[in-house]
Amino acid sequence: MQLMDYVEASSMLDKYGIRSIESRYVSSAEQAVKFAGSSPIVMKVLSGKALHKSRSGLVKLDLRGKEEIGRAFAELEKKAKSLSPYKIIAQKMAGKGIEVIIGGKTDEQFGKTILLGLGGIYVEVFKDFSLRICPIRQIDAKEMISQLKSGDVITYNGKNAKMLEELLMKVSKLLSANDRIAELDLNPVILREDGYDVVDIRILK
Amino acid sequence: MAKMDLEPMMKPKSVAIIGASRDPDKVGHVILQNYVNAGYQGKIFVVNKNADSIMGFKSYASILDIKEKVDLAVIAIPAPFVPEALEECGKAKARTALVISGGFAEVGNKELQEQLVAVAKKYGIPTMGPNCLGIMDPRSRSDTLFLPTYKLARPQIGGVSFVSQSGAVGSAILDMISAEGFGLSKFISYGNAAHIDEVDILEYLMGDDSTKVIVMYLEGIKRGREFFRIAKDAGKKKPIIVLKAGRTNAGMQAAHSHTASLAGSYETNIAAFLQSGFTVADDLNDLLYYAKVFESEPEPKGNRIAVITNGGGIGVITTDEIAASGNLKMAEFSKQTVDALKKTMPVLVNARNPLDLAGDADGKRYEDAISAVMQDPNVDMMVVVTLFQTPGADSSVASKLIHYKERSDKPMIGIAMGSEYTQIHKLMMESSGFPVYDSPAAAVKSLSALLKYKEYKQSH
Repeated sequence: MQLMDYVEASSMLDKYGIRSIESRYVSSAEQAVKFAGSSPIVMKVLSGKALHKSRSGLVKLDLRGKEEIGRAFAELEKKAKSLSPYKIIAQKMAGKGIEVIIGGKTDEQFGKTILLGLGGIYVEVFKDFSLRICPIRQIDAKEMISQLKSGDVITYNGKNAKMLEELLMKVSKLLSANDRIAELDLNPVILREDGYDVVDIRILK
Repeated sequence: MAKMDLEPMMKPKSVAIIGASRDPDKVGHVILQNYVNAGYQGKIFVVNKNADSIMGFKSYASILDIKEKVDLAVIAIPAPFVPEALEECGKAKARTALVISGGFAEVGNKELQEQLVAVAKKYGIPTMGPNCLGIMDPRSRSDTLFLPTYKLARPQIGGVSFVSQSGAVGSAILDMISAEGFGLSKFISYGNAAHIDEVDILEYLMGDDSTKVIVMYLEGIKRGREFFRIAKDAGKKKPIIVLKAGRTNAGMQAAHSHTASLAGSYETNIAAFLQSGFTVADDLNDLLYYAKVFESEPEPKGNRIAVITNGGGIGVITTDEIAASGNLKMAEFSKQTVDALKKTMPVLVNARNPLDLAGDADGKRYEDAISAVMQDPNVDMMVVVTLFQTPGADSSVASKLIHYKERSDKPMIGIAMGSEYTQIHKLMMESSGFPVYDSPAAAVKSLSALLKYKEYKQSH
């Protein structure tokens, strides 16, 4: 299995109407500054050799202004040397909200499956996730949310629920239509009052 | 794969028992004996080349010597000879075959099993097993279970069909069912699933009119996508209750070596069940609890429960269970019900839900309470607690409950716990179609499942 290029993955999501947060590869601090414009950004090192980016200090959050971005870029470049080949990606900062994880994998018996859980450590520690076989319908998406112990946390407002249901159906559609996807992780997806941000994407093909 | 016709296996007009024996220790003997004992009305043919006659039946050297049509060939001979025997079944145009014999993939003998499947496919003969207990249909009295009737009681006729890969779980459950008051439509223990597997069985039972409820114990599902496709249709047609083994990795490894089947990941299996509206059981007891409620009870109109009890404590525990169920709630009696109760109940009985009839409640008091509550438009389902240890509770209470149960179009179930005296009354009620549970938790989770399934059917 092999990790799909981030930008390729992002544009794949785009085709199914799944908006991931605005991102681009940067090869210099100047490019990053230009990309940031007046908004805060995040920079990450992407390398097949580093799976846990934040634990290895390969993520810099909430970077503002030329100086801060420049310093962060230099630091990341230094750390990434041993991880070659690598790329540095800059992303707009996501808004605040509820973090969820949406995943997908191919089951030997049943084919594509889709997973939903509350983001961060909750999925792993409390094993609080729901799973369905693709393709799913709206009622399945609805039940995926209500089945979670943390369902009420995720849908503290009704708008969130609807938005998440639609997002789940889009991801299911993408999974069903693309045989070559072995695994998919949208983690985290941040649900806001007025929308969502897919912050990180990992697609294994 | 084409749909397999299992009808001739379940309702055979003629059965050939290959490997029938005079020796009471042989499986083939017990099977023949059981067909005779059960009063099977079709034709029985005995195949054993080493005998002229067995138990008064003429013994044929081969199924090919039988000049009449055979609907079901039961094969109970040592494994190495099975493929050849099946070949003969194919040539004789037997309509179905069932291989009791073990000694195939479950002991690592995959090649022999593949040989068997190749023969089954060559002749297009639906073949169950190998390594299985087989089937029992109390209506047709076809019974291939090689367990003597004195060891394993056979349940009465009813609407529940029970499917189990494992013979041991299957026979234990069958014995447990016969102690419950509900009846059986089909029992199917399909062993290694070499040819006929869970998909074929589910598809057959979905279309079987005498099956009202399907109960499955599954270790592995071989054809996941096909299973899911059939399951989604089946789940909408009738209630299906499933217990999946292999919840943990340890359990899964045990399943591998047991029936040589590929246990899929537990969570994915459960996902397929939930998406198909199945009721997922956590334990063997759950299978019986759910089977009981789905066999006898009508669809609930809503989620409001009335609790009638002759023991205050059990009423409270039941109320707790209802509140914690997630989808049920306590009903609030209408003014009309409250007025009626005030007229008929002694002063010490409060006209509210849970309705505590007090320890001296007799048949008359139960009658007055139930007749008022069952008409209440605010009540969708009823739980009636009868503690038979109390002074007033005797057979007259049980008969009143049965009387009103027959007249109720709302789900009505009982709770009674205790030893012999209670068990007698439990059986009395259950054989009249009034399911009785031995704990508030079991009763409430069963009603909760009943409502959940109704909601599934409405929304899917």
